[in-house]
Amino acid sequence: MRQILLVRFGEVFLKGQNRPFFMKKLIDHIRLAIREVGGNVWLSEGRIYVSDFSDLDECIRRVTKVFGVHSVSPAIEMPKDDFDAICRQAAEMMRPKQGTFKVLAKRSDKRYPLDSPAIMREAGGYILQNVPHLSVDVNHPDHEITIEIRDHAYLSVERIPAVCGMPMGTNGKACLLLSGGIDSPVAGFMIAKRGVELCCVHYHSFPYTSERAKEKVLELARLLSEYCGRMRVHVVPFTEIQMQIHEKCPENFTTLIMRRYMMRIAQIIAERDHAQALITGESVGQVASQTMEALGCTDEVVGMPVFRPCIGMDKSEIIERAEQIGTFETSSLPYEDCCTVFTPKHPATHPRKELIRKAEKALDTEALIAAAIEGTEVVVVG
Amino acid sequence: MMYFDNSATTRPFDSVIDGMSASMRDGFYNASAAYRPAMDIEKQIHACRQAIIAQTGAKREDEVIFTAGGTESDNLAILGAAAAIRRAGVFLVSSIEHPAVAETMRRVEKMGHEVRIMPINARGVIDLEACERLMDEDTAFISCMQVSNETGAIQPVAELSAMARAKNRSVLVHVDGVQGFMRVPMNMSRMGVDLYALSGHKIHGPKGVGALVVRKGVRLIPQTTGGGQEKGIRSGTYNSPAIIGLHKAIEEMAARQADVEAMRALKLRLYERVSRLDGVKVNGPEPAAADSAPHILSLSFDGVRGEVMRNALEGEGILVSTGSACSSHKQKVSASLRSMGLSETQADGTIRISFGLMNNEQEIDTAAEKMEKLYALLKQYRRR
Repeated sequence: MRQILLVRFGEVFLKGQNRPFFMKKLIDHIRLAIREVGGNVWLSEGRIYVSDFSDLDECIRRVTKVFGVHSVSPAIEMPKDDFDAICRQAAEMMRPKQGTFKVLAKRSDKRYPLDSPAIMREAGGYILQNVPHLSVDVNHPDHEITIEIRDHAYLSVERIPAVCGMPMGTNGKACLLLSGGIDSPVAGFMIAKRGVELCCVHYHSFPYTSERAKEKVLELARLLSEYCGRMRVHVVPFTEIQMQIHEKCPENFTTLIMRRYMMRIAQIIAERDHAQALITGESVGQVASQTMEALGCTDEVVGMPVFRPCIGMDKSEIIERAEQIGTFETSSLPYEDCCTVFTPKHPATHPRKELIRKAEKALDTEALIAAAIEGTEVVVVG
Repeated sequence: MMYFDNSATTRPFDSVIDGMSASMRDGFYNASAAYRPAMDIEKQIHACRQAIIAQTGAKREDEVIFTAGGTESDNLAILGAAAAIRRAGVFLVSSIEHPAVAETMRRVEKMGHEVRIMPINARGVIDLEACERLMDEDTAFISCMQVSNETGAIQPVAELSAMARAKNRSVLVHVDGVQGFMRVPMNMSRMGVDLYALSGHKIHGPKGVGALVVRKGVRLIPQTTGGGQEKGIRSGTYNSPAIIGLHKAIEEMAARQADVEAMRALKLRLYERVSRLDGVKVNGPEPAAADSAPHILSLSFDGVRGEVMRNALEGEGILVSTGSACSSHKQKVSASLRSMGLSETQADGTIRISFGLMNNEQEIDTAAEKMEKLYALLKQYRRR
């Protein structure tokens, strides 16, 4: 008899002929996620199991963050031949519970002497007799104990929901523009959840932003890496570009021109890091640079898809999501990410592309971008 | 790295590190135990008490209560006294106190006492005339820092104490001496101070140790109960390595009083160069004034945010702070600086340079040069 973790997967189920590819990715990622707590991951009869781990709670915490996992249940694996022992174990597992219960049985071993209704009846009767403070409710029970008869018997009570989504790396790679704010980590999470591998680019405006601000961004990337694994963060020195824009371009266009530079640089970094798309945390209408016209202006300079998964979300919805994935607290640290010294008082909200293009002519775009790329520092997190 | 944030903390003297390391290795005994090796530790603690007495003008050894630092000392002084004062009284506190005092006063209010705020003037010094109007025979407790951690302004605690005692003879005077101890003179009996809080790590000693000096006859209700150490006022096993480290720091500071005065020369040397720049202004008393502490210089760089200047200096290997380190996590404009009449942008453009015994003239010249260069560069990019 031993403690194991039963792992259920979600959408991978829908896959047809390429299902083994998705399953392999999923198992690889579960292995990677638990490498520090130890444990074996194995597949049996279309189920994933984890056994021999050192710390169940930590194992659960890690496995429920693997994209593609739908839910997990801590379970007891024991020999199936002694049905009395199974009943005794079931009663022990139900003893700490209060209220009503029901027994669910599944039998993939059809040669087993008892069929599913018989297992439910027998085990249910035993529990009722031996744990007198519980009563049965088959329609709306407070607790469900599942008994599965496969190569062994598996007993489980708890079912812990996991992150769902698709296994990481099954849907290409994208480059996330990571600021220090609340939105961009959420955007990265949402795309990564669909099985997309991530890399990040961050614009650092020293001395207008501090070392702590940079640390904060790296911490956000690390928090994301708990879901999507090890990744590269490209830290781009951005001060010179901001100063040039500030000096040479009309004030109301500075934010937009800055966004265009960010997108251009991100695209170059994405291509170098073999990513096929960009991700931003923009939400329509949230700030001046996120109006419909402004988004059109920034998209104009990019030749790859730009994903904006927060585009239709309210700030409150984004915050709720950030809290769920655990990035909100770090995002709320008060270090500045985009310096106010460069923020115009009245940014253009309905910019015309041709005017922006004309204003940008004052800058030596190629040289500025080349210098920024040259000075980029790469940090690996996770 | 050139370190100019000595008001946040200081690097311990080698003598402190050696003394503490020896204490942990060989003198680890519980000072309260009955055997001989423990008595040796007790003697070393005794020697530290004597050193504190000599530096504060206290009279008796049992007036020194060892604590875990400045914050605990302030808490014990204020809460211990507030709990001992039976009738609801009036507590006066300056508007520029460190959070260790300011936040603790909120609890005093909840205990049923009245708290009144003593205003400061544009030089960052407490306004004695205005304070006198706040005082009456119900004034039970006065709390005023010895030296402002943000501007280095030395506060007129002796005058304040005399003024309050004229209205109520039994008033208690508490002085937070964390930024003043051993850099600015303190004589508790002469200056009329009843409770004096000090900290080890601001004088090149260890962190996590400090003391509250309590004049004989002042009653405090213990805020920590337990084994009855420190006459029951502050229970807990003596942190002997830290107390020994504190003693070493006091000894070395006392032996190097000339170097303490030399910090003022360093401060003036820096100020003399930087004040020539257009747009630079000192906060608090003129650095050469008698009520300006030797080791703190607060400067406003017009048009450049303090945070940006601080980051840029860090890039050049020079460590300073914006405002004071204790409030810098909140990233709000300093209330103390605002109460001195600085505009929000001026207060926001402030950096604090604080000196220690390990700074030298060469560092000052480099720092001045970098400040000149960076200010010229950064002020071009002010918000339009």
